[in-house]
Amino acid sequence: MITALALLGYAACAAWCAPVLLAPLTRRGVSVRAGLAAWLTAMASVLASAVVAIQFSFRTAAADWPRLTQALCRSVAGGACTPQIYRGALYEGGVTVLAIVTTAAAAAALWRYGHRVQRSRRQTRAHAEAARMVGRALAGGTGAGGTAAPGNEAPATRALARRQAQTVVLDDPRPAAYCVAGRPAAIVLTSGALAVLDQPQLSAVLAHERAHLAHGDHLLRALTQGLAAAFPGVPLFTRATAEVARLTEMSADDAAARANGRPALVAALLAIATGTAVSSTGIQGASVPGGALAAATHAVPDRVERLLRPSSSARSALFATALALALTLLAAAPPLLTILA
Amino acid sequence: MHRIWDHGGAVTVRDIFEELRGERSIAYTTVMSTMDNLHRKGWLARERDGKAYRYTAVASREEYSARLMREAMAEAGDTEAVLSHFVAQMDGAESAALRAVLAKLAGRP
Repeated sequence: MITALALLGYAACAAWCAPVLLAPLTRRGVSVRAGLAAWLTAMASVLASAVVAIQFSFRTAAADWPRLTQALCRSVAGGACTPQIYRGALYEGGVTVLAIVTTAAAAAALWRYGHRVQRSRRQTRAHAEAARMVGRALAGGTGAGGTAAPGNEAPATRALARRQAQTVVLDDPRPAAYCVAGRPAAIVLTSGALAVLDQPQLSAVLAHERAHLAHGDHLLRALTQGLAAAFPGVPLFTRATAEVARLTEMSADDAAARANGRPALVAALLAIATGTAVSSTGIQGASVPGGALAAATHAVPDRVERLLRPSSSARSALFATALALALTLLAAAPPLLTILA
Repeated sequence: MHRIWDHGGAVTVRDIFEELRGERSIAYTTVMSTMDNLHRKGWLARERDGKAYRYTAVASREEYSARLMREAMAEAGDTEAVLSHFVAQMDGAESAALRAVLAKLAGRP
């Protein structure tokens, strides 16, 4: 019983405190991989401790029932009703209620998760199919991707993503570029986006979107969105959805910057964001004046700043260490609590 | 699908087949099953005309395109499709900040 309560208490505490702890560490994208790992571990830690707590409360309830019914029967037969028996009955009732309530909550959350993920997958597939059907093929095909230097991901996955993803153009004056997973996936560019991008910038955009598909980022996004729908109002899950999205963007930025250089990528970001053509040469060696983007809360300005001002290796190491520490703490807490309590 | 949109009106499998045969070798049944698939998926409407079906596009290319863009632009709306935008929608202050950076970069000697 103590174990179950301790684990539930930890789950609640982590669900409310972990976002406050992790958000400042992962915000700037200093250590993208460690940041993603930390958010995923936090969610796994909370879910695992909740599941184990439910299991413990059931085990306690099941173990105590025979003794209690025996005592009750004896008291009915002999008429000797001691306060001890009442206390036992009360305690037993509490454990049983806890087990039933937590199980019901878990079942509801599971249903919401499944519902959300399934609906989201159906709509994503439909969108990809419609985009492939309606869009024009990009002139020059995937030739733009030919300039991409091999990154550090497996060549097999890269080749697979490139073969599968189909790049299409939709006629719309608003500049936009996105990828949508499906069978096969689609990378969608609007004619408005093509109008403001030059060839290297277009390659950078395509490399960014291919990196999303090759890394399977849509699966992470679907997972976090599903969990946020399963546990509405729980800060950890709502926050993780936003932060994981930011981090996957930054990770795709890194892949695109490796392949096509930072200037082309930054110019492409600015061009699509503002809707005006931007020369990549102006970006070369540029530095953002400190604080120019400080007011911005959204990922795009942060991403631009991050690409223009790479952090020093000492800073990266510091952030990576802090994240590793947080990760270890989150991973170790549930088993430690189980053993101690 | 593009062929049917280009046609504008109602077409039969025979029309499309004749058109495609001029460009490459293709079996009549391939065209037929493709169009049947499109009907099943809700892209084409059909009505019986004697022994054959006459197919029409359910919506124009522009309508589908507009629908896709609506879905893509309003991520917070009723759609739950997972789209990874290169640049997400921004509010006024954020795009103003970006424009300021752009102006600074442009103004550099």
